[in-house]
Amino acid sequence: MASSALRPTRMQRLLLHAALLVLGLPFVLPLLWMVSTSLKTNAQVFSTGGIEEGLSLAALIPHPVRWQNYADAWHSVPFATYLKNSLLLCAANVTGAIFSSALVAYGFARLRFWGRDALFILVISTLALPAQVTMIPVFALFRFLGWYGTFRPLIVPLCLGNAFFIFLLRQFFRTIPEELSEAGRIDGASEWRIFWQLVLPLAKPALATCALFQFIYTWNDFFGPLLYLNDPSLYTLAYGLEQFLSSYGGEWAQLMAGACIFTAPVIVLFFLAQRTFIQGIATTGGKM
Amino acid sequence: MRKHLVGYAFISPWIVGFTVFTVFPFLASIYLSFTHYNILSAPQWTGLSNYERLFYEDPLFWKSLWVTLKYTVVAVPLMVGVGVALAMLLNAEIAGMSVYRTVFYIPSIVPLVATSVVFVWILNPQIGLVNTLLGTVGIVGPAWLQDPRWAFWALVLMSLWTAGGSMIIYLAGLKNVPRSLYEAALIDGANAFQRARHITLPMLSPVIFFTLVMGVIGSFQYFTQAFIMTKGGPENSTHFYALYLFNRAWRYLDMGYASAMAWVLFVMIMALTLIIFGTHGRWVHYGD
Amino acid sequence: METEPRSRIECGRRWAGRLGVATVVMAGLFLLAFPSREIRKHPERKPVRLWHMWTAKWKEDVDRIVAEFNASQNTYEVIALSVPESAADAKFLLAVAGGDPPDLMAQWNQVIPEWAENGVIMPLDRLMTLEERRAFDRDVYPVARRMGAYRGKLYAIPVGLDVYACYCRLDHLREAGLDPDEFPQTLEGLMDWGERLNRFDDSGRLTRLGFLPFISQLTFPMFAPAFGGGFFDWERGKLTIDTPENLRALRFLYEAREKLGLRNVIRFYSGLADGVGSAAWPFMSGQFSICVDGQWRVGQLAKYGGGIEYMTAPIPPPEGGRRHAGWVGGNFLVIPTGARHTEGAWAFMKFWSGLENPERAARFYTWGGWLPLSRAVADAPAYQQYLRERPQFRTFLDLLPSENLTPTPPVPYQTFLWDRVREAYESVSLGHLKPQEAIARLKRDVSREAGAREQWTHHGQ
Repeated sequence: MASSALRPTRMQRLLLHAALLVLGLPFVLPLLWMVSTSLKTNAQVFSTGGIEEGLSLAALIPHPVRWQNYADAWHSVPFATYLKNSLLLCAANVTGAIFSSALVAYGFARLRFWGRDALFILVISTLALPAQVTMIPVFALFRFLGWYGTFRPLIVPLCLGNAFFIFLLRQFFRTIPEELSEAGRIDGASEWRIFWQLVLPLAKPALATCALFQFIYTWNDFFGPLLYLNDPSLYTLAYGLEQFLSSYGGEWAQLMAGACIFTAPVIVLFFLAQRTFIQGIATTGGKM
Repeated sequence: MRKHLVGYAFISPWIVGFTVFTVFPFLASIYLSFTHYNILSAPQWTGLSNYERLFYEDPLFWKSLWVTLKYTVVAVPLMVGVGVALAMLLNAEIAGMSVYRTVFYIPSIVPLVATSVVFVWILNPQIGLVNTLLGTVGIVGPAWLQDPRWAFWALVLMSLWTAGGSMIIYLAGLKNVPRSLYEAALIDGANAFQRARHITLPMLSPVIFFTLVMGVIGSFQYFTQAFIMTKGGPENSTHFYALYLFNRAWRYLDMGYASAMAWVLFVMIMALTLIIFGTHGRWVHYGD
Repeated sequence: METEPRSRIECGRRWAGRLGVATVVMAGLFLLAFPSREIRKHPERKPVRLWHMWTAKWKEDVDRIVAEFNASQNTYEVIALSVPESAADAKFLLAVAGGDPPDLMAQWNQVIPEWAENGVIMPLDRLMTLEERRAFDRDVYPVARRMGAYRGKLYAIPVGLDVYACYCRLDHLREAGLDPDEFPQTLEGLMDWGERLNRFDDSGRLTRLGFLPFISQLTFPMFAPAFGGGFFDWERGKLTIDTPENLRALRFLYEAREKLGLRNVIRFYSGLADGVGSAAWPFMSGQFSICVDGQWRVGQLAKYGGGIEYMTAPIPPPEGGRRHAGWVGGNFLVIPTGARHTEGAWAFMKFWSGLENPERAARFYTWGGWLPLSRAVADAPAYQQYLRERPQFRTFLDLLPSENLTPTPPVPYQTFLWDRVREAYESVSLGHLKPQEAIARLKRDVSREAGAREQWTHHGQ
């Protein structure tokens, strides 16, 4: 009975749709422009719309449609090689960062040990120093380890926990009722089993969020690979996009085509993955 | 004793990562902040002179600090507010929600280089979307990125556009709110606003706490958009602290000075973070 | 309540299994960790690594030059890597600091004195034979020599100078009844032409700009030398900032804008397409009648211009000013400290620049539409042929021998100086500071920086 009252009424649904459409407009218009620009000729990009002519949606429609921009973008980089490297790095970074961060976060959120809170502040403090000034020592360190020119500097540190995710997951783990763990302990489960089989599954939306963030970060990062690798066959798609952007500075049509190709896979991924956020745990958790 | 060991075991990946990859660069940069260091020659010890220069002789330092503080005060609360509001709307059960969520989130996926190009267009005084819209209601819009009074606000606007990034975190947080709470509130006759105020917000508080701390840290290090779009101009109105630090470090080859700047920043960030942690107990509820 | 955790454990098992698989995959990747295996065409030769910032068409030109070099001898193999500009300096400096630099770096930013002073790049003098050094001093244009030098040593070899001059639309001139053969001999005269070429809409907004002494952040350095100013006294080796000439130049630049209305100019410029490599250049779309720009626009006009009729001419000096004066930039090659194959790097520098064989190198310059560093290259048949095809290009070449051209002042805080010079013009052009105030601020900031740097030098000794 009460449950059905929570579901929005028809009127409320309509209102919600209206609100989302209006609010969504500023978010979606720039993207429409991106796509429309990617299909225009460069002459069209600057000749349509503007204050003088007022806002006309017609200006958003490319005429004629120039698919060639996409072909240009596609052929300007060795797509397959870069894609392979990007996916490899993403896979390694996502699994490595999420697993290690979840482990550490669990320790900080649900276990008691000496110096815990001070150590946690230390975790956060690692985010507070700008990377610009640690870059040289870090670089020297990787060279000392013989890792320069390999993927190791891009993978290994992330497999040892990412402070951002540790903090985020700690917040989530702390909201999971302590009684659950207690019940597990009474059942004789080890701390590892409680973490792995009880708490982790409950934090699925948070883990998915972290995975998504890490994926997007790695996907978009061209600076890291560029810094530590010197062989172009090891570079990622983000490097290809950056090259593409700097070579077409000012030619917005080609530039936007490149950006669209680059972004589309992530958008699709998000669209598919966001079911994870919907299928939350809340529907099953009737503890209170 | 065993309890402590289990705790340390869980956080051991971070301890290893911190010891191997973080401690040395941190200590190195503290040392460098007391030297003159041009990246290549051996650092020369100059005592406190970098700090003296910073506080007493460098108008750009104060200018950039002011711009950055202004950004923190303005953008962080705005981002949190917009993010939470969006998440609440996008948590409703209506048709097409996955499309809405994707729309609001895409801006956070698009790589910053491309986003910057899009915003250069949106904010173009002549043919840009914003001024065209303002024009239809009879307002002559400013020159945004070219106007020292408006460039800062243009960047704030741009960061709001990517509020979808934190929205995802809130959505994941909302999934942890047990339905039964709402049902109980309904029976008590609470309206939608009261439910948001007394159930949703408190339940979200651990996540809001996270985004607040990370928002402060991120805003103090705000760099990329200003680097790509304004280079600090016009008239240093967007000369952010991290941008100045970057210039000092890599363009003026003044790494010792940059390290001093970084540690001043570090102290400020940690002070603010500790203050926020201090208020923690008063408003953050972990579901108990 | 008691059974519930158990059912959760069941639920979690499958999911945890999946995570377990993922962890194994990750561990596999971790162990592999991908050592870099490089495929080389000539593994028996000494590798000479070249990093540069060119992309797209220019990257292909560089690759062709590299291929020709590799085919021309069998001791060295040059391996080129294109590093996007936004990350180039950080990557390069880290590599040098880390002790694993490339053998060559191509640059176009204002870095030579700064890098030379700090030991990032090495002097080329000891790689040159006496004969090569003599030929260099004899053949190379003065501005190119100044650009590569710091404290009496040579650090960089230019492989493409950037010179600026006026581009002028003949169709606009005709329409306004102006005779291209009577191109103004003074800046004031050019301003008058500009006034007759300006077009406004009904509300007084600028729609076409006749002429404005403006070339974005280069404006002040570009025009100051023609007024007898500039930021460096090459004879005394000293910075010159608060000189009457510089003040006069800045005043002139400000008044030119003010005449059109400061806001009007900002509004007009902000509505234009922009970008150095862009096909959408306002001159092409007819929004400028006369403007100042670099020689590379000639090539772009040939490619995208669609038969626009135009001429080029040196920027005329103001009344009583210096002729053929202005700022010159360039692309140049440097050898980082710690490079392993410096002889190979030097061989490639000579090959590309034309110090070794001007006739052969002339072709390279025509590919990229670059201006050569010496008359010998310019006189080579391939280059002369290029000039015949693009008569407008000659203006830029003819400017090169001028003693009044100046590169960025060779002080070790060049980047800092240039940022502050840009700020000075910015504040004046927005009407926020009077020219003398802006120059006073510039002087103060630069002296302070110079003072601080002075201290460290003494500290070290």
